Amino acid sequence: MRTKLQKFFTRLILSILGLCVIVITLFLFLYVFRKGKKVFSLSFLLDKPAGVPLGTAGGIYPALMGSIYLGALSALIGGILGIGAAIYLVFYSTGKRFSILVNMAITGLSGIPSILFGLVGYTLLIYRFGLSRSLLCSSLCVAAMIIPFVAIRAKKILDEKGREYMKTSLSLGLSREYALRKMILPACFVELLGTVALGMAYGMGAVAPILYTGAVMQADVPHSLSDPFMSLPYHLYILVNNGFSLDYAYGTAFVLMLFLLIIQLICKFITYLRKDN
Amino acid sequence: MFKKLSDKFSKGIIYLAAFLVMALMAVMLIHIVKESIPAISQLGFKMFLPSTEWRPVSQKPQYGLLPAIAGTLYVSAIAVVLALIFGVACACFLDYYLPKKVASVFLAFIDLVAGIPSVIFGFIGLTVLVKAFATHLHMAAGQCILAAGIVLGIMLLPFVISTCHESLQTARKTYEFSAITLGFSREFTLLHFILPAIRPGIIAGAMMAFGRALGETMAVMMVIGNSPIYPKLLGRGQTLPALTALEMGSIEYGSLHLSVLYVANAVLLVILFIVLGISYLLKRRLATHEN
Repeated sequence: MRTKLQKFFTRLILSILGLCVIVITLFLFLYVFRKGKKVFSLSFLLDKPAGVPLGTAGGIYPALMGSIYLGALSALIGGILGIGAAIYLVFYSTGKRFSILVNMAITGLSGIPSILFGLVGYTLLIYRFGLSRSLLCSSLCVAAMIIPFVAIRAKKILDEKGREYMKTSLSLGLSREYALRKMILPACFVELLGTVALGMAYGMGAVAPILYTGAVMQADVPHSLSDPFMSLPYHLYILVNNGFSLDYAYGTAFVLMLFLLIIQLICKFITYLRKDN
Repeated sequence: MFKKLSDKFSKGIIYLAAFLVMALMAVMLIHIVKESIPAISQLGFKMFLPSTEWRPVSQKPQYGLLPAIAGTLYVSAIAVVLALIFGVACACFLDYYLPKKVASVFLAFIDLVAGIPSVIFGFIGLTVLVKAFATHLHMAAGQCILAAGIVLGIMLLPFVISTCHESLQTARKTYEFSAITLGFSREFTLLHFILPAIRPGIIAGAMMAFGRALGETMAVMMVIGNSPIYPKLLGRGQTLPALTALEMGSIEYGSLHLSVLYVANAVLLVILFIVLGISYLLKRRLATHEN
């Protein structure tokens, strides 16, 4: 009898809690999509923000473009550095002081909260080096945040797929660099690109590092690296925090979420297809 | 000749990248320590006395960090406990009571939650949770520690579920066949063999989740109310990252205030180091046990 009761209650509690989680996750998506759909239109995507206070009318075009520029630039910087460091760790590491330090740096960076990249970037780049609040500063801060994200995943990819190639190439008398350029990087290219894209999505959603380093309430689409810019998550934060317009906040959240989800779904789909083969 | 040059060039880039990553970490650490020194030498231990309040802009400025430290730990603890209860149960539910195909669809779906940026969590928390608190609990504004804990807990869910799911599957492979053959029910097996077996792995995962929760900025900042007072479950509070994000834009470079913010973040890093260090040690012990 007791075991039967225990069985029943275990089943009941697990099911209730499990269903709760599933309902909550479904709710997160449905809530934003349903509320955001009302505001969403082509003109919302392609117009500049207007109205007083700003953002209560018009669209979010500059914020969308600003986010894309920011994502692309930081993915470029963070991707190169992250993959470079990962290649070093997998194929060049000697187990001596320098490689231990690089390894520790990546682990350490991955633990640092995003706001610290913003704080250090703000005081160091803007006050110490005298740069203006700009796309460049923000990209550097976001890139610093992406580096460990990319490096850890790239290390895993190279470790799994590249070692065998490297061993064969070295025993054939080829140089490490040649093997990397001609075999390993082409073989891992899609996965590495997917990792960088995931890192980009992660960086584009972050507000903390761009809070005071370059994102502003109103700006045009940036024309040069030293221009301030608008960004979707920052725009959302401003709209909500100042209570300007909840409707437009729903719209912005909808676009931001849809955009990031599409990037992630594409990346996951590609890795899924690759795994099958 | 050309091949040799491009070999050297590739090697140079790789070493440069590795060096820059290391330099970045060094610069961050050195900068944080350097900027904290003025506050430490001028205020010293006063920042951590329980009697000192956080009043940075008054006539006689006081810089007490303890309320924000307590708030950070409080919110993160609530979040981890909630995420653990729901996450572990959900992982078991998906693994045991749903067909494999359905479970993997839900798992992929829950995994997508990890990709939602934190500002959207803050936004949903503000429009749903805080509003519900304000109307149903008759609170003035609804922004409170509990709201922040719940929002943060939901953010940690995908992480806890995926860690738990992995350890569940390995444990089931080891124990389930023998247990079922001996005539135990699946629920009995789960409660008495599998959960105890995966407990160390879950604790290590929980510590990592705790580390993530400590550093979360935007979502917490939007729902916690941002008053630098000692945290109560249904009262406003403040966390270290939220404090930094809120105040760093409005202070002068070189002021004592900024230096105190750096001390606050140094404290946060020390706590993070301890938490993540414990999780690392646990994981290493686990790995040596398995081999």
